[in-house]
Amino acid sequence: MSALVERAIAAAGLAGVLASRRAGTIDEAGVALLRGADLLALGALADRVRRDEVGDQVRIYAPPPERDTGALLLPRDDERLTGLELLREIAVARVTGPPSARVRIDWTRCGLELAQVGLGFGANELAGHIASKRGLPFAEGERIGVGKRSRLQAADLVKKKELAGFVRRSGRIPVFVGSDGSVEAVDEAMSI
Amino acid sequence: MLDAIVQKLHAGERLSFDDGLALFRHPDVVSVGRLANEGRERRHGDRTYFNRNMRIETTNVCVASCLFCSFAKLEEGAPGAHTMRVEDAWRELEERMDDPPGEIHIVNGLHPGLPFSYYEELLAGFKRIKPDVHMKCFTAVEIHFFATHYGMTYREVLERLRSAGLDSLPGGGAEIFHPAVRTRIAHDKATADEWLEVHRIAHRLGMSTNATMLYGHIETFEHRVDHLLRLRALQDETGGFQAFIPLAFHPDGNGMRNLPAPTAIDALRTIAVSRLLLDNVPHVKAYWVSMTPEVAQIALCFGADDIDGTIVHETIYRAAGTRSPGALTAQQIVRLIQEAGRIPVERGSLYNVLREHPRASVPEAAVNVRDRKATKHLEVLS
Repeated sequence: MSALVERAIAAAGLAGVLASRRAGTIDEAGVALLRGADLLALGALADRVRRDEVGDQVRIYAPPPERDTGALLLPRDDERLTGLELLREIAVARVTGPPSARVRIDWTRCGLELAQVGLGFGANELAGHIASKRGLPFAEGERIGVGKRSRLQAADLVKKKELAGFVRRSGRIPVFVGSDGSVEAVDEAMSI
Repeated sequence: MLDAIVQKLHAGERLSFDDGLALFRHPDVVSVGRLANEGRERRHGDRTYFNRNMRIETTNVCVASCLFCSFAKLEEGAPGAHTMRVEDAWRELEERMDDPPGEIHIVNGLHPGLPFSYYEELLAGFKRIKPDVHMKCFTAVEIHFFATHYGMTYREVLERLRSAGLDSLPGGGAEIFHPAVRTRIAHDKATADEWLEVHRIAHRLGMSTNATMLYGHIETFEHRVDHLLRLRALQDETGGFQAFIPLAFHPDGNGMRNLPAPTAIDALRTIAVSRLLLDNVPHVKAYWVSMTPEVAQIALCFGADDIDGTIVHETIYRAAGTRSPGALTAQQIVRLIQEAGRIPVERGSLYNVLREHPRASVPEAAVNVRDRKATKHLEVLS
């Protein structure tokens, strides 16, 4: 961690929170402190926790799994957050969540741009639907049929490339997680 | 490397080409943003500027063939080509006189068939309707075109347009200055030196201008730093730039549609590095049309101190596929700024303060404080 980041975290009064996080003793006062802290210092803290606990890999779920366990999903169904609010929620989730938590952003609820920024604030998973060129999400059933499949796979690949590029340009490593839990690594040549 | 840059900044030393490159390449964009935010707050505190402006593009007929442009049509009569009569352009203002804009911002294609008097009449007519309206019109590329097409010097063009009502120049047309890029994406319009010379002369005539950079296409970080340092050098010489506005490339419907649009991270990083490198330019603007209102709001924490204005009638980015709305009301802009914990300041075109709005009573940091237990805010899917 650079001295700048250390100073920023300390200046925001968050150095103690980092220690509490490591000791597993963050209390309600600590959460309140995070909610009122300088957003970028909080982001730096959350990013530090993310890097220490889950590394640089970003797991991409497209389409999102119907059932999942253990992921902290943001934004929530019932919330309409501004971009700044969403970033704070993500960072707070990372810093106060369980160790090595899976903090997931649903880009269909907040847009890809904000989702990408959220990766710098503690998130390590992305989920959403891959869209066709006309902007309509592909349903699983649409993949049936030879002629159709070849066309859809081409569009699907383009979007995967875009997603992978988004993640790589955030300095992270994208992997796609299939509906059966299989993991597909993405080599650099596939990212645009 | 970032720590060395921090030391330079704290010592009041100017950042170098290599420093700029290191900032663009630094993996921790939040830290770069935080550094830029320090510079922004040192200059402006929490004040964040916007204005009530109106965009008009009176013609999209253009002899230039820039690869990134989705707006221009090569000739009159081509599908989608339009050229407004001056009376129709004036009507845009007349229809808004119940809540008139303080600034009219006109950017056009390089139309080969219009007389120079068209532009003089256009300006003069707006001033007749609203004498105090600020006319920020015609990029340096257009001024260069007028000079070559109508056989005048830059000074003559600017003086005639000023006599007709021109007040300042917008910053468009800068694209990327480096010839390795410019000759590929914009080979048949003003060169970098010509663009800079137009602004130099405008500054010497006492006019304020803005500057832009179109990023996120085929250029490299080296090209961006080169661009920023050329602007900084001219600003050292003249001091005439008011604001710098990074413009994100949008790929729809143009000659580079196979490229992805730059990401939000790139937008925030570019804002931040611009704030740090352009130590002599007062304002860095997060142009919400280019980067969406949501990302522009975040940019207010990454070095930007201005979010542009109400816009009303922008068509250039809309043609290129931006997802931003066509206009924001002043109230929406005030709210965007307040939600970011900043103080909205409605400004005139020359950054004269018209009205300072209050800081939000419930800033962003407190909006989300909820009465719940420490871990209850976490939704665990099951």
